[in-house]
Amino acid sequence: MPSPEIPVPAWEINPSSGWLDLRIRGSWHYKDLVLRLVRRDFLVSYRQTVLGPIWLILQPLLTTLTYIVIFSKVAGISTDGLPAMPFYLAGILVWNFFSECMPAVSSTFSSNAAIFGKVYFPRLVVPVAAVVSQLLRFTIQLGLFFPVLLYYTLYRRTIHPNLLMLAFPLLIVILAGIALGTGLILSVLTAKYRDLNNLIYFGLRLMMFVTPVIYPLSIVPSGIRFWVRINPLTPLTEAFRYAFLGKGQFSWGYLAYSFICMAVILFAGIALFNRMEDQAMDVL
Amino acid sequence: MNNSLIQVENVAKRYRLGTIGTGSLKADMMDWWNRKVRNKKDRFQEITEEDKDPNGYIWALQDISFEIREGEVLGIIGRNGAGKSTLLKILSRVTRPTRGRIRGRGRIASLLEVGTGFHEELTGRENIFLNGNILGMNNREIRSRFEEILEFSGVQKYIDTPVKRYSSGMYVRLAFAVAAHLDPEILIVDEVLAVGDAEFQKKCLGKMKDVSEREGRTVLFVSHNMQAVQNLCSRAILLQSGRIVSTGEPRQVIAHYLHSGRKYDLLQQWSTPGEAPGNQHIRIRRVEIQPMPAEPGGPVDIRTPLLVSFEFWNLDPLHLCIGLQLLTLGGECIFDVSSPSVLLQQGIACGECLIPGNFLNDGAYSISLFFVKDTSILLYSHEECLSIEVADYRENVSWFGKWEGYVRPDFPVLLQMKLPQNPAS
Repeated sequence: MPSPEIPVPAWEINPSSGWLDLRIRGSWHYKDLVLRLVRRDFLVSYRQTVLGPIWLILQPLLTTLTYIVIFSKVAGISTDGLPAMPFYLAGILVWNFFSECMPAVSSTFSSNAAIFGKVYFPRLVVPVAAVVSQLLRFTIQLGLFFPVLLYYTLYRRTIHPNLLMLAFPLLIVILAGIALGTGLILSVLTAKYRDLNNLIYFGLRLMMFVTPVIYPLSIVPSGIRFWVRINPLTPLTEAFRYAFLGKGQFSWGYLAYSFICMAVILFAGIALFNRMEDQAMDVL
Repeated sequence: MNNSLIQVENVAKRYRLGTIGTGSLKADMMDWWNRKVRNKKDRFQEITEEDKDPNGYIWALQDISFEIREGEVLGIIGRNGAGKSTLLKILSRVTRPTRGRIRGRGRIASLLEVGTGFHEELTGRENIFLNGNILGMNNREIRSRFEEILEFSGVQKYIDTPVKRYSSGMYVRLAFAVAAHLDPEILIVDEVLAVGDAEFQKKCLGKMKDVSEREGRTVLFVSHNMQAVQNLCSRAILLQSGRIVSTGEPRQVIAHYLHSGRKYDLLQQWSTPGEAPGNQHIRIRRVEIQPMPAEPGGPVDIRTPLLVSFEFWNLDPLHLCIGLQLLTLGGECIFDVSSPSVLLQQGIACGECLIPGNFLNDGAYSISLFFVKDTSILLYSHEECLSIEVADYRENVSWFGKWEGYVRPDFPVLLQMKLPQNPAS
């Protein structure tokens, strides 16, 4: 005998989820989980390594030294009149953040299939935790960047940080948003088509060449300039350099372009992810 | 009548065999092109009627409707592949139904989640928090129950050791301890009872009993263990091929299950020697196991005597004895008995052997027959020709784990006081 309707049905399970049914209220409950996943990420990364988190600083430092030798000394590529060390370091920090964040997000389904197959929680928790974890790494790496900045600003007086520095958090938010949005879209696609995984790293490498990491935007020849300029990461890299080093092509309008790209990609990413998360689970 | 906590309405779940999509980008793009651009029909069109395209899909569940009332312990039983796991997955929101809806209130926690998210490299302590967070507890809730979890798991000494150094038993205990302390309104207990040692199983069932009886919590119990279902559940549902075939009193539902389960090979017979298995000496005519339950049509359990009978065409006059072996499905022989050697004429011969009740343990068994001439020469063997499943039955026992042993004879075991302590002295 069916009893009367449930007085207050607190939840309902339906065949399909909406595009933007974000369940924000429920998600706040999972903030501890986000932080826990970030913590796990750190604990696990440096278990059984000799240098531990020092690698976070060592890695960009070594890359910078390599770039100085290859691109500056051997190839003689211009650094916009800036000293090579802070020039490359700035580019590498920005690029590394993006190039580690994006694949970390796009592998959401493949690396969590076992958990997703057993427990329900808002799936968005995992990519968000991946981004937070990368943000934390980035912050630690800034600990390397600032002494270098101080040295070149106060002692060598070859770079000129300015007030745009205050907009730095905005740059990072836009950057993280683009990485998250792109990663989310790719996570859904790679869950469905495994072969796309191979393309992600190839695509990242291509993208690095159209981002002013190892060269300033000012020396880009007009032939490929269009491709470099429509890359939404370009204004961010240039603005980052302009703010801390005093040189770079910066305009608020160009930054706004980047912001709009971020908003569109992120919106599309979240919508797609939300819509497809359940279906993706049936495939895995 | 208690209030309803969860209402499941016409839920159905369809899986595509293989992968969703065609699995490759090219084929999917061709599909899309055909469908959208050339306006042709999708070859994987959403199916509205009863499975019209049986080569791509299976319905794991169909027309499932039931409700779970506050405070009840609802048992779900069924064979492997009946849809139990799918139903649990839908209830715990891991996957969505293809049709229908489920409404309810309260937190659902399921013990199929045991150990999810455990990371080998992390310590027991870290894993308790990680697992707890994944299962939906916040840090405050976990901290307040930490001591209890630790005690229940019994791994206090190793709590700061990475779990990769744990034995599998410790690992499972710790994992279960977290899940058992979730404090959900509705607890889903799956077949996890199969893991861990006997003492731990007891602890788990005890915890489940606690949760349902003392705290009045609602439990959804999924198991193959009929004994446990009968003892713990207030109501049961039987799933068969994705449909509910029986609901109600656990005893009746279990009887239905055991009855429907008798698809085992109880009889083989042939009408002419030409088509029968055998050779120039022997042709099998009939082999049969007849369970002899106390009441006709009753379940075949460990109390039931089994009569094994056989008939064969004897083609040569010879001295013959028949050996009969009872084997587990794993092929281990439980016993090997033999008839005396008898001089048989040409014609049809028959024989039988009665396996008494209260002798075999629960499980599935098969029977092999051996035809031996002059007590030494094997003429023909008819191996693993019949099989039967013997169900468990217990009385006055509150332990539901697997009963050990190949046989379970009813030998009397005596227990009494030898020398009572005199309170006066």
